[in-house]
Amino acid sequence: MEILKPAMAGTLESSDAQVTVEPGTQGIQLTLSSSVMNQYGRQIRATILETLERLEVKNANVTVVDKGALDCTLKARVECAVFRSADCSQQNIPWGGVIV
Amino acid sequence: MSYTLSEIRRDNPRECSQLHDLLHSQGIALDSNLDYTCGLFDEDWNLVATGSTFGATLRCFAVSKDHQGEGLLNEIVSHLMEYEMNQGRVHLFVYTKTSSAKFFGDLGFFPIAQVDGTLSFLENRPRGFAQFCQQLAQYRRPGTAAAVVMNANPFTLGHQFLVEQAASQFDTVHLFVLEEDASLVPFAVRWQLVQEGVAHLPNVICHKSGPYLISSATFPSYFLKDETTVIETHAKLDLALFGTIAQTLGISARVVGEEPSSVVTGLYNQVMAQKLPELGIQCLVLPRCTQHGQVVSASTVRSLIHQGRVEEICPLVPQSTYAYFTSPDAAPVIAAIQNSSQVVHY
Repeated sequence: MEILKPAMAGTLESSDAQVTVEPGTQGIQLTLSSSVMNQYGRQIRATILETLERLEVKNANVTVVDKGALDCTLKARVECAVFRSADCSQQNIPWGGVIV
Repeated sequence: MSYTLSEIRRDNPRECSQLHDLLHSQGIALDSNLDYTCGLFDEDWNLVATGSTFGATLRCFAVSKDHQGEGLLNEIVSHLMEYEMNQGRVHLFVYTKTSSAKFFGDLGFFPIAQVDGTLSFLENRPRGFAQFCQQLAQYRRPGTAAAVVMNANPFTLGHQFLVEQAASQFDTVHLFVLEEDASLVPFAVRWQLVQEGVAHLPNVICHKSGPYLISSATFPSYFLKDETTVIETHAKLDLALFGTIAQTLGISARVVGEEPSSVVTGLYNQVMAQKLPELGIQCLVLPRCTQHGQVVSASTVRSLIHQGRVEEICPLVPQSTYAYFTSPDAAPVIAAIQNSSQVVHY
């Protein structure tokens, strides 16, 4: 999926994560900050990158401010931000799937 | 306890007085220019936390003393970021007391400058300012270098004189044109007229100022009327950022014109004369260029256009600027100036 415009999903509240995606040209540029970076940083990074890969996002600047979100929350927030940025969050949202 | 998030409107006296009280209790004054203010209210509709936006900046944050540590700031910042996103603004800035800056560090904001150890300025990109400087660094040239910063609204003989003087004294002149589109003459036109007006000076390099030099983020009071102390604080912040830019480009002096009329530019010059030497940068104030005993100023040019006397700007501006204002392209800009009630910079 191609990132067409900047979009955001999620909040900065505890147990959530705020995901911002912006159009980019040099692959996936991920900026991650997390309140549990020392404990789960690797796992969080892997979850975000996996979700982006599943959505076939090749180029994007992604900023995630994590406040201790569970993996399922992270996935949902990343998906939502990508769908919003690709203008397909209005109807027939393909949760968990890929859009071609 | 559950809280309700709501916009605070200027026409609601009860909420506004609560807003003033809450900010005052935290030693913060409410800025006079704000786009949007929100607050969290408890079950009895008492204000417990607040935050505001102006342009791409988040500011005027306060959380009631009795409710600190409940994560209320996070909720306010989330909401304001969503609001900014809906306005199409992604690159955001925060003004806050240095003692509170660490809370914003936890919310994905990174410090870029500080004023007097009390005010901090942050942005939501880890390397935003660093990248801006990195891109400028490729324009660094050997030898001496000076900087000129101008709005050029529009470019006059005064601007040209200033740049020519700087170009004759230094090996390289870095000319920054304010990118903020808050002036009567749009940036694209100002940029074009500046480039044409300095085309004969090979050692002048033009730069777009980006969001870091006299922008609505660093220096909102340049564009909208505010109090003296506010202007001074904004000016200091702006110069703190300029210090870093100057270092990147090897700039040893900033060349400015005397300011006889505008309050805000006059104050800015005063702060520069005091602060720049502390940063190891010389502040060169040049007398204004005059025509028939009258100083050439862009405000005068705008006033003449405002009064419909476009031909009379001829002796005040370079040929390129005059050619533009007498061309059909200029019609919308002239109309904007003629319809504006405030053409002179305050």
